[in-house]
Amino acid sequence: MANAPDQTSLFVDRFGPHPAYATEVHLETSGRIDRLVSTHCCFCGQQCGINLKVRDNAVVGFEPREDFPFNEGKLCPKGVKRYLQGMHPDRLLSAFERDDSSPSGFRPMTYERAVERVAAEIDRIQREHGPDAFAVLSGASLTTEKTYLMGKFARVCLKTRYIDYNGRLCMVSAGAGNKKAFGIDRAANPWSDIPKAEVVWIAGANVAECAPITTSYVWQARENGARIVVVDPRITPIARTCDLFLPVKPGRDIALFNGVLQLMIENDWIDGDFIERHTVGFDAVAEHVREWTPRRTAEVTGISEKAIRKAAEWWGQASTSFLLHARGIEHHTHGVQNVLGAINMVLASGRIGREGCGYATITGQANGQGGREHGQKCDQLPGWRDIENDEHRSYIASVWDVEPETIPHSGVDAYEIFRKIEAGEIRGLLSICFNPKVSLPDNSFVTRMLEKLDFFVAIDFFLSETAQHADIVLPGSLHEEDEGTVTQIEGRVIKINKAVDPPGDARQDWRIVQDIAHALGRPHGFSFESPREIFDELRIASRGGVADYSGITYEKIQKQNGVFWPCPGDDHPGTPRLFEADSWNPVAKGSGPFYFPDGKARMNVAPYTPPAEDVDDEYPLMLTTGRVVSQFLSGTQTRRIGPLVDQYPEPLCEMHPRLAEALGIRTGDPVIVESRRGTMRLPAIVVSTIRPDTVFIPYHWPGARSANQLTVSAQDPISKIPEYKVCAVRIRKEA
Amino acid sequence: MRLKHMTRLDIRPENLKATAWGTAATAVLGVLIVAGSRRLNHFDAALVGYTFAVLFATFGVTYRYAMWLMRPTTAIYWRRGWQVFLRPKYIGRNIALWIRHVGSDFVLNAFVFRRGKARWMAHWLIMWGCVLATAITFPLVFGWVHFATVTGDFGTYEAFVFGFPVSRFQIDSLIGFLTFHGLVWASILVTLGVMLAMRRRMRDRSAAAIQQFGEDFLPLILLFAISVTGLMLTASYTWMKGYAYDFLAILHAITVIFTLLWLPFGKFFHIFQRPAQIGVAFYKEVGRLEPPAHCRRCGHGFTSELHVRDLIEAERVLGYRYDIDGEVEHYQWICPPCRRSMLVLAQGRAWADELGTGVYPLGGESPDGVTPRFGNAGVNQGPLGSEDRDNFHP
Amino acid sequence: MPVPAHMEFFIDPNRCIGCQACVQACSECDTHKGHSMIHLEYVDRSHSVQTAPVVCMHCDSPTCAEVCPADAIKRTEDGVVQTARKPRCIACNNCVLACPFGVPKMKTDAHLMMKCDMCYDRTSVGRRPMCATVCPSEALFFGTREQIEARRKRSAPTNSFRFGNQAITTKVNMMLPVTARSEYIDVTAAMGDRNVGKDIRFTVLTDALFDDAEERTV
Repeated sequence: MANAPDQTSLFVDRFGPHPAYATEVHLETSGRIDRLVSTHCCFCGQQCGINLKVRDNAVVGFEPREDFPFNEGKLCPKGVKRYLQGMHPDRLLSAFERDDSSPSGFRPMTYERAVERVAAEIDRIQREHGPDAFAVLSGASLTTEKTYLMGKFARVCLKTRYIDYNGRLCMVSAGAGNKKAFGIDRAANPWSDIPKAEVVWIAGANVAECAPITTSYVWQARENGARIVVVDPRITPIARTCDLFLPVKPGRDIALFNGVLQLMIENDWIDGDFIERHTVGFDAVAEHVREWTPRRTAEVTGISEKAIRKAAEWWGQASTSFLLHARGIEHHTHGVQNVLGAINMVLASGRIGREGCGYATITGQANGQGGREHGQKCDQLPGWRDIENDEHRSYIASVWDVEPETIPHSGVDAYEIFRKIEAGEIRGLLSICFNPKVSLPDNSFVTRMLEKLDFFVAIDFFLSETAQHADIVLPGSLHEEDEGTVTQIEGRVIKINKAVDPPGDARQDWRIVQDIAHALGRPHGFSFESPREIFDELRIASRGGVADYSGITYEKIQKQNGVFWPCPGDDHPGTPRLFEADSWNPVAKGSGPFYFPDGKARMNVAPYTPPAEDVDDEYPLMLTTGRVVSQFLSGTQTRRIGPLVDQYPEPLCEMHPRLAEALGIRTGDPVIVESRRGTMRLPAIVVSTIRPDTVFIPYHWPGARSANQLTVSAQDPISKIPEYKVCAVRIRKEA
Repeated sequence: MRLKHMTRLDIRPENLKATAWGTAATAVLGVLIVAGSRRLNHFDAALVGYTFAVLFATFGVTYRYAMWLMRPTTAIYWRRGWQVFLRPKYIGRNIALWIRHVGSDFVLNAFVFRRGKARWMAHWLIMWGCVLATAITFPLVFGWVHFATVTGDFGTYEAFVFGFPVSRFQIDSLIGFLTFHGLVWASILVTLGVMLAMRRRMRDRSAAAIQQFGEDFLPLILLFAISVTGLMLTASYTWMKGYAYDFLAILHAITVIFTLLWLPFGKFFHIFQRPAQIGVAFYKEVGRLEPPAHCRRCGHGFTSELHVRDLIEAERVLGYRYDIDGEVEHYQWICPPCRRSMLVLAQGRAWADELGTGVYPLGGESPDGVTPRFGNAGVNQGPLGSEDRDNFHP
Repeated sequence: MPVPAHMEFFIDPNRCIGCQACVQACSECDTHKGHSMIHLEYVDRSHSVQTAPVVCMHCDSPTCAEVCPADAIKRTEDGVVQTARKPRCIACNNCVLACPFGVPKMKTDAHLMMKCDMCYDRTSVGRRPMCATVCPSEALFFGTREQIEARRKRSAPTNSFRFGNQAITTKVNMMLPVTARSEYIDVTAAMGDRNVGKDIRFTVLTDALFDDAEERTV
């Protein structure tokens, strides 16, 4: 509800961001180590295994963990330096209350008093304006236990329909596309299928920087003789030495997929038998793609006909293949259509559900997978159940021991929540594990909405840019301070182990949420004593659902080094590969491998539409945004780790020399980038590794350095994902 | 190559030369001992074992030092070091530099401090303990210094250097106490230093990986043995009425003599090599005033032309053939960043056909400034200091 | 303890994605904690994302050791060229300038050369070096020859390099394609190369977008 405090030196002294470096205890080579805790990295969806060195209840270093099969000790720079977030000077060690008379803008307060005040404000807002006037924003970096609890907290305790999460900015297009095509949303294959493929097709995924460990799988495929096809407007590190590079114009991926499918059909490079037995809707798709001749495809995508033909030939004639895509095709107003187009290529080839024949989206956030399964999405109940399905509602109501009709109905997506704030419908907000002020598009709007709230409470371990607007900040826990499960990129449920206790007055997030429920006088269903108890209830809640965790236990995860869901029974080993020919699922019930009543996959017509904001004379360039390897998402953690800050200290605007020459810009020159929503000033880096009609800015920074000042808030009509990957801008050299 | 040659046992001119130097140095010391002790008048016969050990160590150290100076690169540095030191243009500057280096490098061990505080504390204590002990014992052993009571005054001592009286002091004065217990103070310094060093060596995982008994522990054990047996001697005659004094004296002599005999071989030889770093400082200082070398691939300046030419000469002597046909002439004219890049480019080029990648030639101006360019400007990730920046382009 | 003879270091720079995990992990190694010894450069960022990861190659006959006036660089029995011995190194910079691979670093204020020692604190007790353990792309790999043969079907390791007229063999191997015509890597042959890889100019700017346009070489 408040403006963020002025970034005075006193504010920065207390809350940072301070870049932490290895100091005394980290540098001791004679250091005593109390124990080595085997756990996982806190950052991306790959969830690499890592061992943390613990001394005197503090994480003081790391040791590669070679026994986890996904990464076998490999780590990216973020994983290597993650240990520096322990003992961090910016760590919130008590609850804080906004106080303009305090020099830092915040005043510490007792935890108990803070929880009481939060409960009183929630109660007041809901009494005055109804239960839906208080909303919850959650995140996909929380453990699955916490995401489950957040969904339950919103529906059972707050009885609000408005809960959504930051996966909305990440995996939802893939999720919706997968759901439409396969009836289930999970990587269809474990990564171990990648090296067995003859063609690996990577669309819109900067694998080297956003999922670095996946690189070793791709290069292993190449050593086995595979051809690597990369679709990207930039020559990413993995594109540099790929076999075929398709420099697509941002926002035109669907045209490419349709064009390739057209050539596959034309040359009979399709698996008619598979299409016949296992899919529905091929004829309509074939009819639709007929117009996507190589020439038209080349015109729209900016990729040469020859390269398109080559790609279709390789993809069409392969006997095994793996298609990977990520935010590059998903962050669009037609993100779901892009995903469906990619899936059509896979289904037409018949190469899925077998060894070496795979398809997957590369999940971004730590628990991007688990976080989108158990009910913190606005339209979802645990086990991937539908909040509008009466059967699903009554099952979950029985687990939660409430009446089905008391469960609120479907809410709105995270961005729409801010529009509801603008409309005055939402007046209070609880946010955890989400930094929308940095991560949402057109973020000056988001800032205004945070200021407009009657009451805003944030649970955070560092004072994120969003939490700076809070009336009350509750000190939450870091990844290493709690245990729980996370479902990683492949659909493998893994176990996060607690290394240290939360310092000071900080506590585990699930305890905080339960304390609020108790303070509200609504404790029913919020008396868990441990993450394990939450997980046990989640297992029951997910039983019989698509995302069935009922056969997974902490012990089984430890024993098998992870369990792939669905795992419907105690003696079930889990399901590494989906859609195997004779597989059983609770939707098809034996009629086929896909998750529809007839057991068949759906091929959906995926029409091409240009981006929401195309270039014109006024704004003649395309801006695309993305990540760098040393930073993670909104940077709340990684901008506080010195060696990672040094690696890429500030955003740079990548542009092609031809464009730079026309604008009189050289590397290092400050440039002004303007869109219809905002303006930013940043240094240019002139590189011939990007299309000349496109510029790139990474998005990890706040305020004046935030790329999301420029991006457009247009959203996909199905998934509600914002179009981060393309908008129109103009650039000039700063005078 | 040279290393292989050195494993063979053939007598070469260097060996003969070094033997001659060693013999000469030993002879000079012998003469000085005879002269300084006034024809052995003041020579303490009980110390003859020590004297012969010192004479042997002198031969060994000189031999090894001479051999060391004949290594091609050392010879170049030795020659060039003196040349640049004595250049009239720079001599004033050089003397000032020398004084500064003696202060920071020798007196304070500042560079050891920068390698590690624990290491520095240990080194500084041991070094000063040894310096003090050596300054006291060697002149005494050689008979260069002796003390005598002033005739008619049993309470006053007179110190003689090379047989000449130098000063007088009261036996029970503070000066007397400090002087006669000089070795006690030295032993305490050394013992403390050795204990710190031992502690570090036993706890530190980085030290544990590479340390060897002979190279790293033996010197500490020897110093410790000398100090402890020396202190026990003092204890024996001060408080214990000379209990076991003879035995302790022999034990002490054994430890000292063993250390002296071992001086030319092990870690202690660094005592004689180390001052060369001051010569290096002159060489570098002059290099900075001379024209810089420019990389013949990227054009970026690195080190001095003097240094590159000297290295080319040294490598030729050592039998290396880094010559390149064409205008680059010698690989030594390529800067380190370009060497690293070329290695990778050469490997990438070998894969180009296999992967269908292009190999693009250098040419035109790079809009990005100097390349290759270091990828990570983080603290201690790139250059380790100002000089190291030459090894990393901006 | 020596580094086990069956454990070898294999480098394939072509796999490198420039992520800096090796650089960040290198400074976590006990023998040089807080200082990174590995080099990772953009060969020419304005034209390519190609990066050069360079660790010490551990020459069989190390030039750095031979040009050292202080005899401070030793090659242990297991073939590892150790970092400078602290008591001896006089910081003359000869090794830095003479190393054909450009590996040693100079910490002038400490009068000390520092270089990659293959994480001797780790490898000498049977663990893998930091950089090669964390490397996400396996551009740096530490394992047995059997492992590398099983994994890298299109590659063959070599440990021979040419610099002008000088041949150097090393303990560390570098991967060449099995189809390579040469047994060694001729480093100075790359003197005039700027970068290797895909180039967007050829695929977007100069390449014909349509098949019926004039044929251009990709």
